[in-house]
Amino acid sequence: MFSVINSEWYKLRKSKVLFLLLVAPLIGLFIGLANSSIEIEEINAWHEKLVMMNFTYAILFLPLISGVLASVICKYEHQEGGWKQLMALPVTRGKVFLSKYLLLILLMLAMQLMYLVSIYLVGVIEGITDPFPMDIVWKSIFGGWVATLPLIALQLWVSIAFKSFAAPFAINVIFTLPTILVINSERFGPYYPWGQPFLMMNIGGSTGDVFFVPWDQILTVVGSSFLIFFIGGYLYFQKKAI
Amino acid sequence: MEYIVETKHLTKSFGKEKAVSNLEMKIPKGEIYGFLGPNGAGKTTTIRMLLGLMRPTSGSVQLFGKDMKNNRIEILKNVGSLVENPSYYPHLTAKENLEASRKILNVPKKRIDEVLQQVRLHEVANKKVKGFSLGMKQRLGIAAAMLHQPELLILDEPTNGLDPSGIIEMRQLIQSLPEEYGMTVLISSHLLSEIDQMATRVGVVSKGKMIFQDSIETMRKFAQASIQVKVNDNEAAWRSLLANGQKADLEKESVTLQAEDDEQVAASIRYLVQLGFSIYRVQEEKRSLENIFLEMTKEEQAG
Repeated sequence: MFSVINSEWYKLRKSKVLFLLLVAPLIGLFIGLANSSIEIEEINAWHEKLVMMNFTYAILFLPLISGVLASVICKYEHQEGGWKQLMALPVTRGKVFLSKYLLLILLMLAMQLMYLVSIYLVGVIEGITDPFPMDIVWKSIFGGWVATLPLIALQLWVSIAFKSFAAPFAINVIFTLPTILVINSERFGPYYPWGQPFLMMNIGGSTGDVFFVPWDQILTVVGSSFLIFFIGGYLYFQKKAI
Repeated sequence: MEYIVETKHLTKSFGKEKAVSNLEMKIPKGEIYGFLGPNGAGKTTTIRMLLGLMRPTSGSVQLFGKDMKNNRIEILKNVGSLVENPSYYPHLTAKENLEASRKILNVPKKRIDEVLQQVRLHEVANKKVKGFSLGMKQRLGIAAAMLHQPELLILDEPTNGLDPSGIIEMRQLIQSLPEEYGMTVLISSHLLSEIDQMATRVGVVSKGKMIFQDSIETMRKFAQASIQVKVNDNEAAWRSLLANGQKADLEKESVTLQAEDDEQVAASIRYLVQLGFSIYRVQEEKRSLENIFLEMTKEEQAG
């Protein structure tokens, strides 16, 4: 299993797209710095930055970048018979699927950590003297990551199914863009998988819950969409004719 | 006999059409098996099933005496393959392409240089495969197939896109494998001349059916030359020959002798001369393997 992940990492690393992981944290950094003029009365100056930065990052870039990476990890397999070559090696399809998925979620975790660094940098540059609210920031970072797990599973499924790079990207955008509207709806917001990264990173959410949203929402929406997308993609790949 | 590859009633249907039908392939150890058939005969489909890339509609595949269905991973550890067009990662160099496979196969790093040397790509090892010619890609594919020194090498149209010197090199390489490494090789091709020069056994497939499977010598026997004799009275000569116990056929303007060897030809001619026939011509007519192959596949199509 480790050797398969290792091989996947090797192929992805050489494709020179890992700079994409820097894009979202950097944009977060700029947003954090650009809004320095607005003064909001807050208990902690960090909160204001977090709200500003999380909005664009969690609604747009987290889902989009994860989708693009999922496409890249399949792109070179589609190009010149990579699937054929890979599956003629002594590996099971299940292992290949799982390896690609694990690698993707690890990379997204790395991106979340870089975003954490961005947040901290903004504070340092702006000279925020309030104590860094690690107790809520880690929830935001980790919660946002958990919420993208189902989205990555779906993007991997779609990227395996379509040879073209455009199709998975289009699907990604189609589901991601409405998020900005859906999260404002009390009724639909909590049930929209693409809205979860924002809701789980939103430090302004209900403070009584561990991840700013109720546990049952995490389990039902994130959990069930993960199961559907992951099992769907897994089974699809098992059956796919290569 | 121990078979490295054995398929039983192997069938694959796409909708109503049977791409492979009741195919029984048997490859003994250490042979170079030429898998011959016109384009679209079902060669690649068969090979895909041998590698477990595709599931048979019915029938079974056994490699090394183990069933593919339940022992796929174990089997593939000992199989190297090149299926159809060469497969590669365009964004990686030749070396990196092999490294990606090597990580999964768990063989020592030095194997990469060894196989690159074997297919003579060592000078371009660090160049991106994207810019390779078809022949170079093909050679890289063969290098990848040999990386883990498999017991069975499956090469689908391996000389596609190679130039004449490349074909000769490839032929020498493939021919050396059974002796040097004890490998068994399966090569598919639509060109008989290619198979004729490498293979020790031949399987001919047409319309998804195996229509001939035996040693190359047996196939060559079909190609034995026949002797045509033209005399002043062909029919009378033919009758005399038959009466004398010589197998012969009467053609429109000649008599064809089915002689086993030169002596028999000499005896028949002497006999005709003694009987007073005027002999105008004695000529050899060769049936090439190519003709036999065409006839075989044609018969199948007619039936």
